[in-house]
Amino acid sequence: MFSYRVSGLAVASEVGLPGLIPGDPDSVPEVTIRRAPVPIALDGAEAVGPTWQRADNRFLLRIPHIARFLLEGGHTIAFEAEDGAEPQDVAVFLSGSVFGVLLHQRNHIVLHASAVLVGGKAVLFCGQSGAGKSTLAAALGEQGHPLIADDQCAIEIGEDGVPRIQADGRQLRLWEKSIRELGLADRRGDPMRNRLRKFYVDPATASDVPVPIGAIYALVEIRGPEEPGIQQPNVVDATKMLAANAYRPVLVHRLGQRDVYFRGGTAIAATSGIFRLKRRLGFDEVPATIAMLHAHWVDIGLMDSVP
Amino acid sequence: MIPTIWLASYPKSGNTWFRILVANLWSKRDTPVDINVIDSTDSIASGRNPFDQQTLIDSALLTSDEIDRLRPAAYAYAAAGKTLADPEDPCFPVRFVKAHDAYTLTDRGEPIMAGARGAAGAILFVRDPRDVASSFAHHMHCPIDIAIDRMGDRDFCFASAADRLDRQFRQRLLGWSGFAESWLGQHDIPVHLVRYEDMLADTAATALAALRFAGVEPDPARLDRAIAFASIDELQRQEAESGFREAPRKAPSFFRRGIAGGWRTDLTHDQIARIEHDHGTMMDRLGYIRSTVETE
Repeated sequence: MFSYRVSGLAVASEVGLPGLIPGDPDSVPEVTIRRAPVPIALDGAEAVGPTWQRADNRFLLRIPHIARFLLEGGHTIAFEAEDGAEPQDVAVFLSGSVFGVLLHQRNHIVLHASAVLVGGKAVLFCGQSGAGKSTLAAALGEQGHPLIADDQCAIEIGEDGVPRIQADGRQLRLWEKSIRELGLADRRGDPMRNRLRKFYVDPATASDVPVPIGAIYALVEIRGPEEPGIQQPNVVDATKMLAANAYRPVLVHRLGQRDVYFRGGTAIAATSGIFRLKRRLGFDEVPATIAMLHAHWVDIGLMDSVP
Repeated sequence: MIPTIWLASYPKSGNTWFRILVANLWSKRDTPVDINVIDSTDSIASGRNPFDQQTLIDSALLTSDEIDRLRPAAYAYAAAGKTLADPEDPCFPVRFVKAHDAYTLTDRGEPIMAGARGAAGAILFVRDPRDVASSFAHHMHCPIDIAIDRMGDRDFCFASAADRLDRQFRQRLLGWSGFAESWLGQHDIPVHLVRYEDMLADTAATALAALRFAGVEPDPARLDRAIAFASIDELQRQEAESGFREAPRKAPSFFRRGIAGGWRTDLTHDQIARIEHDHGTMMDRLGYIRSTVETE
């Protein structure tokens, strides 16, 4: 078995999962991943999507011609490859889409976000695929901000009321164009799938301990005459923004997690801050965005002065 | 359950204009709808985020062909009303969904748009290809000759770069003629043809016919108001003031002129001849009169 630490959970897997933080093989696994027969459909399914079904605590996800995944109770994942899909093809979905569903199943707050370390705290960038989360995290990494997570961020509100994020930042996942534009070719690793030009990239530095959240930014692209800027919505809008930036908002709805996100959003808004980061998209704009962030981090006390 | 109707068009053929007109028709406000908040129609069919949300799959890790195999299931799911916030109260009588995809099949032989499972019908918007050429060039920020090349290239696709992530999926256009041919030639769902020029000449009658095809009988006064609220002047005013988020990043503007026949001054004789050579047959079929004589 392979051991990993994913979003703070001890994971034992029959298959290797590239890009994850290695775990302690002696710890008791909280999540087990096995190769096993997986049905095409679930008996007594209460909810049926185009590629998924849910019955009680069982969740079936099918990616046709790649694999079927059965998640039970948030602690086991069984998978069965389809049509002779390569292990690599199955692995990227296990560690990404499937684990994201599992975190929802476990009632975690999980955001579609990347995160870097700023002044000992986590700064998160939320957005849909293609919003520029990974690129921004990578660019900030080059300026000395260690990577904490890429794509999924699991948040826990501690007993002290402090929201913390678990580290998942062993590797960045970047498209060839981003790698070229950011000048990271020398740290480019394997492709995530042989048929894709998206690669694992070693971050300059990474953090592997849970850290308190300093700020959460929802990435907003502006076009036309609108000016870039950072805004702080009121608490109600902030909690809505948090649920909208869940890894899979549909599951927040389907699994009845609105309260979890509402309480989490209130705690985060009170202790750190939830902001809207409006900026133009494009590699040329990244330095301006970082300058805007630096100034904001001084304002909110994450940094002493603009570097 | 409300019917789904595709708003299918080659780019720059009046699709967005119609969507904004519909948004104003269904708006209860007495001012024009914000062009950046057209919530009465779904986002474009090729949008990545709605797909990822509904399938729970990170489509960034799928190839375009793999995504295409899954698109029919996603479209059928949405057409069954499963993506509406409240299927009992859909807010609008029709689910209009814009598409720049030609009507094509997946590598497994299934229609990408899911045939009759994906929609009850399609409104196909067409525009004189000679006018499309200059508008398309403006849209893509490229010379008119490149736009004409792309209009004649059956392999030209939107969002097909493999080295980056686009917010939309690859869209096969099949060229200007191929696009119209693919929608008019399929037999899965009924198609209502709308010519941009007819929308300009008699907006009320043309919009009314299209809405009736979709099963909607609009109030005449509200339709007139919607037409006024979706006038080119109003669209340009809003775009100048606050931009248009559906515009390509590089294009200076989206709502450019909104006229017919501009090609007579926009294009060179060679450009006109090339378009008429490439698309003459479909132009004849759609009633666009050729100005040059083939001399081959």
